[in-house]
Amino acid sequence: MNIDLARLLHQTACGAIAAAGFGVLFNIGYRSLLWCAASGALALAVRTLCLDCGWSLEAASFAAALAVGSGVQVLRARTDISQTALDVAGCIPMVPGSFAAKGILGLFALTAPNPSGATETLITAVEYTLRVTFTIGAIGTGLAIPTLLLRVRVAR
Amino acid sequence: MNGPNTDNTKAPVALEPIAMVALDAGRMLMEAGGSAQSVDEIVIKVAQGLGAERVDLRIGYASLAITIGIGDAGITRMRKVGHLGVNQRMEQAVQHLAVQVGKGGMTPAETRAALDCLWLATPRHSPAVMAVAVGLACAAFGRLLGMDWVAAGPVFVASAIGQYVRRELATRHVNVFIGATVVSFLSSTLGGLGARWAGSQTVATAMIASILLLVPGVPSLNAQNDILEGRPTLGSARAVWVAVLLIFVTAGLWLGQVLIEEGR
Repeated sequence: MNIDLARLLHQTACGAIAAAGFGVLFNIGYRSLLWCAASGALALAVRTLCLDCGWSLEAASFAAALAVGSGVQVLRARTDISQTALDVAGCIPMVPGSFAAKGILGLFALTAPNPSGATETLITAVEYTLRVTFTIGAIGTGLAIPTLLLRVRVAR
Repeated sequence: MNGPNTDNTKAPVALEPIAMVALDAGRMLMEAGGSAQSVDEIVIKVAQGLGAERVDLRIGYASLAITIGIGDAGITRMRKVGHLGVNQRMEQAVQHLAVQVGKGGMTPAETRAALDCLWLATPRHSPAVMAVAVGLACAAFGRLLGMDWVAAGPVFVASAIGQYVRRELATRHVNVFIGATVVSFLSSTLGGLGARWAGSQTVATAMIASILLLVPGVPSLNAQNDILEGRPTLGSARAVWVAVLLIFVTAGLWLGQVLIEEGR
């Protein structure tokens, strides 16, 4: 396992900034934005470490979402922060937006009158689409497992 | 429908305000991005806190229906739900109010007044703060996607402008899908042109990073949660909305790419 510390720090910092930015978009209060940043940092740190261990993107995203979901459940017992908003803000930097756009653009390209390399384009588009589907599924499942197991009822 | 055994026509007066206030609490929570599970919990808590003995709720994508009962009397009412957005502070405020109502002692009129106050009293970040925050988030997102540093500035500016335009379109009640295409086209074009001007080697990634403000994260997570929690109809409706929005967003990106390719 090769850990590139500079890359780990970079990914963690970018995850924190992206999560806090989306926290503002979700109208999360200034004090709680720190928790959003922590959530995004945790997600990207876990995902980067798992990727460095040779895991696939889908498996690494699942592990990161599981870590965020568990952390949010523990945190929710002590704070007022909305679980969904914190889950999403933390995991949104892991959404494979690039793959999603490339997948749909690839499918668009196939609709051209005479697409060049149609088979290759189709395979690439399907590959991207499948990776997006599995990664988003992995993130959703990773977040849902702690919620379903450790749900803290609203009635506190 | 108006037979002697139906209690809809001659329901006790007290049931009507309880049902409508409980539905309004659920509607506000849904419009603020709450999951079906939390809507279910809050509506039941409010209705029971106001005196209902039995509560059954049906959560649809665009409506809520509730049946409440006290003793032998019961009524069923429905409420339309508006556009499903994300507003965490509103969600939190409704949940706090529900806890207060759930303890008992509040009347339906007091609860309605408190709900009405939430619309005015719940703060929102200013458009400028949101634009800057979204710009930073998209630039950081771009770095995570492998975008080079020189493209970070253009992506920041393009997505901040995109967020500002999105908010303006939303206040003018422009259709959300059309708005997404317009913002996607504008942000991706600005991001791509800016990145190219700055000498970036990752113009395509910069264009994609510029539109990541449009990723429907909360609806897609709610869709999965709803399905996992036994509400496949609502979850499927949310998933379809997410899929259609992604197509419109990508259409805007595609138009931006065509424009940039043509101008090369």
